[in-house]
Amino acid sequence: MIEISNVNFQYGTADIGALHNINLSVADGSCVLLCGESGCGKTTITRLLNGLTPHFYEGTLEGEITVNGLKVKEEELYIIASRVGSVFQNPRSQFFCLDTNSEVAFGCENMGLPEQEILKRREQAVRDLNMEKLMNRNIFRLSGGEKQKVACASVAAMQPEVLVLDEPTSNLDLDAIEDLKETLKLWKAQGKTIVIAEHRLYWLKEICDRVIYLKEGSVLFDISMEEFRTFPPERLEELGLRRMTTVAADFPEEPKTANLWKTTNLHGATEKSAITEAVEPGVQKQATLPAIEFHNYNFSYEKLPVLKVKDFSLPEGSIVAVTGHNGAGKSTFLRCMCGLEKKFKGQTKLHGKWQKPGQMLKECYMVMQDVNHQLFCETVEDEIRLGMNEAEEAKVPQVLKELDLSELTERHPMSLSGGQKQRVAIASALLADKSVLIFDEPTSGLDYRHMKQTADLFLHLKKYGKTTFIITHDPELIAMCCTHILHIEEGEVAEYYPLTAAHRERFLKQFSFQ
Amino acid sequence: MKNNAKLKGKDLINVGIYAAIYCVIMTAVAMLGFIPIMMPMLCVLVPLLGGIPMMLFMTKVKKFGMITIYSIIVGLFLWVTGMGYWPFIFGIVFGFIADLIAKSGNYKSSKKTIASYAVFSLIIFGNFVPLLINAEEYFLTRQSFGEAYITSLTEIMGNTWLAPLLAVSCLVCGIIGGFIGKAILKKHFVKAGIA
Amino acid sequence: MQGSLLQPDEKRTGITFDPRTKMFLLLTVAVFVLGGAGGKNVDLLAPMLCVLPVVLFLLAGKWKRAFTYVLIYAAAYLCFWYFGPRTTGIVNFLLLALCGILSRFLPGIMLGMYLIETTTVSEFTAAMSKMHVTDKITIPLSVMFRFFPTVADEFSSINAAMRMRDIRLGGKNVTKMIEYRLVPLMVCSAKIGEELNAAALTRGLGGEVRRTNVCKIGFHMQDILLFLIALSPYAAWIAGLVA
Repeated sequence: MIEISNVNFQYGTADIGALHNINLSVADGSCVLLCGESGCGKTTITRLLNGLTPHFYEGTLEGEITVNGLKVKEEELYIIASRVGSVFQNPRSQFFCLDTNSEVAFGCENMGLPEQEILKRREQAVRDLNMEKLMNRNIFRLSGGEKQKVACASVAAMQPEVLVLDEPTSNLDLDAIEDLKETLKLWKAQGKTIVIAEHRLYWLKEICDRVIYLKEGSVLFDISMEEFRTFPPERLEELGLRRMTTVAADFPEEPKTANLWKTTNLHGATEKSAITEAVEPGVQKQATLPAIEFHNYNFSYEKLPVLKVKDFSLPEGSIVAVTGHNGAGKSTFLRCMCGLEKKFKGQTKLHGKWQKPGQMLKECYMVMQDVNHQLFCETVEDEIRLGMNEAEEAKVPQVLKELDLSELTERHPMSLSGGQKQRVAIASALLADKSVLIFDEPTSGLDYRHMKQTADLFLHLKKYGKTTFIITHDPELIAMCCTHILHIEEGEVAEYYPLTAAHRERFLKQFSFQ
Repeated sequence: MKNNAKLKGKDLINVGIYAAIYCVIMTAVAMLGFIPIMMPMLCVLVPLLGGIPMMLFMTKVKKFGMITIYSIIVGLFLWVTGMGYWPFIFGIVFGFIADLIAKSGNYKSSKKTIASYAVFSLIIFGNFVPLLINAEEYFLTRQSFGEAYITSLTEIMGNTWLAPLLAVSCLVCGIIGGFIGKAILKKHFVKAGIA
Repeated sequence: MQGSLLQPDEKRTGITFDPRTKMFLLLTVAVFVLGGAGGKNVDLLAPMLCVLPVVLFLLAGKWKRAFTYVLIYAAAYLCFWYFGPRTTGIVNFLLLALCGILSRFLPGIMLGMYLIETTTVSEFTAAMSKMHVTDKITIPLSVMFRFFPTVADEFSSINAAMRMRDIRLGGKNVTKMIEYRLVPLMVCSAKIGEELNAAALTRGLGGEVRRTNVCKIGFHMQDILLFLIALSPYAAWIAGLVA
């Protein structure tokens, strides 16, 4: 039994994630979904249950929280830990041992259980979650989905009565989500109480029996899953929620790239003028656009071939969704294209010329999943000018304006929100005159509104004549803005097709939610 | 909350995390140490750059013991990577002193944390102790190295001024490094919301 | 780009030793090779300690490491023998200093490398707890070793980002370069560190109960043998002092 009564909470400094007058009670054995837009406070509620607020994330807390008789406010974290298990968003930051065997035992070791008991529990958790294959492995070499599974096993071995999951699927592919769904079903069958905060909702249809929607720190509605499932997609959009069903996918008859060159772009005057002339307005066909060609895309890590892509090509100016399982070789493919892998020897034809990896490094820019890696300066202004082509000076105000950064020029880049940081990175790429942009999971963990904003941004980038590659598992994003699918599995191109009406079925098959 | 002065899981994990960052930076700088001229420079460069992670770490320190443990495990890291046991001994001694200094400023005073870091930096000096201590005896047993080598090295290493020079360099650069760390803290980390 | 600190390969081959044996060996090398203690009696035993890392690397099936070590060590020595008498002045001094430092530090560093590459974090912490070291030390220590690969990963991501932005080391920009590298490194590491910290706490790390350790370590025949070898220079030392 979980009881939250009259809770008000405010983090030390920020307003985001604060809670106002929350009253909740969750019966034993039930499964509750917490949803709402980013910053609505759903994560904070999960933290109230596992004790991270107020014991780790400090702030001012009023009210009472009781989890199975335990008073969270007064209890020490390690006591709460043995009763409430937690699974988090980022698979990279929730393991402590370097091998899977120790990791599954880790929680129990901390509880100081006798050795025999730990071994017994570990064996059972491994059997329950069907993960014999993952044992005796170096965790750093596992894929995101596998890491998440190890995290679940480690929690399961502690045998908590309550499980709290905070956006556990943000970094997972569709199959890994199915896997997690099975784990949740098992926990439910074992009679555990589950509370889960999530953006992706479809996979919880059959799992959760209650849906709580939060807005700005207050509960807006608290209904049964049956009722929630009757909400039409438009209603969900209004609430800022992701879809419960497969995407609509209304694709055009012709590839969307065709009209690209009609609009003048920032760089249109220079090297691409030949292209613009060659393509007559109105009758543009894909065939007349220059193509990016990929030749000899083979690459090995420690003698293990990880990339063996047969030569292929795709039109410049496309927005390509690069899909495939966690660890299929998507990132390696794009790192090779960017010229980031020093041992890679393949060639890429861009602007009608064959380029070596070193030359591609000047043409490509990757916006990483953690954008913090690529922000170096003290102000946004300095940041976007760093490495800028002198000739682009005149474009600075325009780019700032179009990316909605004009107001932020004096801010420290690291103090911005995730979306703003992303835009700063894009602005610096535009001003450095890059022609290929790459995004690594730009919408992981975003709510509907932010995802739509990102999609609009990609569509907007089209007018600059950039070719865009997006590593993503997000069918909604793909349906909104991408022109092609590049599906990579086991280091090879499994499928490559334009997103046109003719290929609708194919897309739906790849991204069916069942 | 009870037992506020006691070190909790949170504090111990923070110690580990920031010690890791410090050690990585130290190791990156130490790579330069294989160029002989650069070796004494370690007493300059490591304290200078190490101030950045250390000052960030200091913002997480609120209880006695954290700095001591930090320097013990940094010393242990140096020992395990083959730099001898002196850094470990120095880690215990100077870590404890550094902790006391920072504590006297309630872990808030800028001056005290910088002083504390400078004392902590003596751990780098620990790496040189085996080269300085009984240098002559060491070279006596290694006649095979050749007369010229022994004279030139004992001249440098055995010189009475070298040991104090290196130690003072650690202290002074530690102070400068502390100021650099504070400046970066203000310039970046506070705004980035991690300090 | 994962560091190899305390995270050995998934399949370990060869003879393994208890971490405590390795640590004792490391101490011995630090005392006699690096520290040069022991006087004349140990003179004959010190080279044996220098050869030990080679033997250990070979026993662990790490041919490459053993070979590299022998190569560097031999090169340093040959260089010394050949060029030592044939050069003068500053060149001579630099050469001698390099060779001297290498020959003193290398065995220890190699042995450290051996320890780090053939011991898992769990084995290491198990050893620490068997030696009755408090959790207050073993917890930060294991977190530190867990976090090394993460910092290394972040470092290589930042490097990649810098290459894409074409930010290079220029003569006058050394301080800027250091700032550009260290600031994102610290911010990213601190953020991941915070997540890691939160996750560790929800698994009950740092409680007042004594941790169990399911990792099995213990002394075997090979450990006893190695201990005897490591004890011999101490014996010689004491014998020398008594005489």
